[in-house]
Amino acid sequence: MSEVNSFDPCLAVLDQVYEFLHGEMDEVRVVVIRQHLDLCPPCLRQYALEQAVKALLSRSCCQEQAPETLRISIVAQIREIRVTYRTEDLA
Amino acid sequence: MDEPTDERAADDLESRFERDALVFLDSLYGAALRMTRNPADAEDLVQETYLKAFAAFHQFQEGTNLKAWLFRILTNSYINTYRRKQREPHFTGTDDLDDWQMVQTQAYATGQLRSAEAEALDRLPDSEVKRALQELPPEFRMAVYYADVEGFPYKDIAEMMETPVGTVMSRLHRGRKMLRALLEDYAVEHGIIAVGVSGGESQ
Repeated sequence: MSEVNSFDPCLAVLDQVYEFLHGEMDEVRVVVIRQHLDLCPPCLRQYALEQAVKALLSRSCCQEQAPETLRISIVAQIREIRVTYRTEDLA
Repeated sequence: MDEPTDERAADDLESRFERDALVFLDSLYGAALRMTRNPADAEDLVQETYLKAFAAFHQFQEGTNLKAWLFRILTNSYINTYRRKQREPHFTGTDDLDDWQMVQTQAYATGQLRSAEAEALDRLPDSEVKRALQELPPEFRMAVYYADVEGFPYKDIAEMMETPVGTVMSRLHRGRKMLRALLEDYAVEHGIIAVGVSGGESQ
């Protein structure tokens, strides 16, 4: 991952952009990234794009609704397992 | 006289399971759909997940993260049952891909994109976003879905996928880069992004 010979702050920031985006960073590193983004429009654009993709994913994938028949079938099977337990207990 | 007590405890467990676990049905189904890529298999996978979870529910510690626990069972069932059935591209090995997408996405890593493109991406149809996601190798797809859609911490994802956190991060990186390349290709193809804007210097 880190075959960086001469230190490039932009590459370093882009390398950590997902951790930043997903809130996986400690406070110190967050501050460093924020400061860089404030001063570096190209990196800020990249970040905005990554944010846009995240929003896009949430929007596109978030509204899946399980069919009602699935819910009914799961509940029925769980109850059936319970009933089986009971009859086994009695036997 | 302890028989009624056992019975009572089992009833409690059952109603607790129905109350607490079933609220995640839609989330699990959504994830299952993205993994199996078809509704019938997704339903089977979710059903299997709930039955396994119910069977193990007495071991589940109240107060720990039930959603993460269910997703872990889902992921596990998917890897063990459905992946075999579905002949998707191999599950292991893709982490080492020396891939076309790296070459393809290099252009996007140089910071030449306009902010208008973030807005343009927003205009992509849901169906296209889902399709792009389905094109990712399954382990990349899962990492991206779990982090971006479900918002799970990397640590939880690592547990679900039974890999180190570092592997999750690398799957996320590569999955996201592939995804962006696919989305941007589509956007350019359909004139949502003008070719000159993003593609101009990408060779």
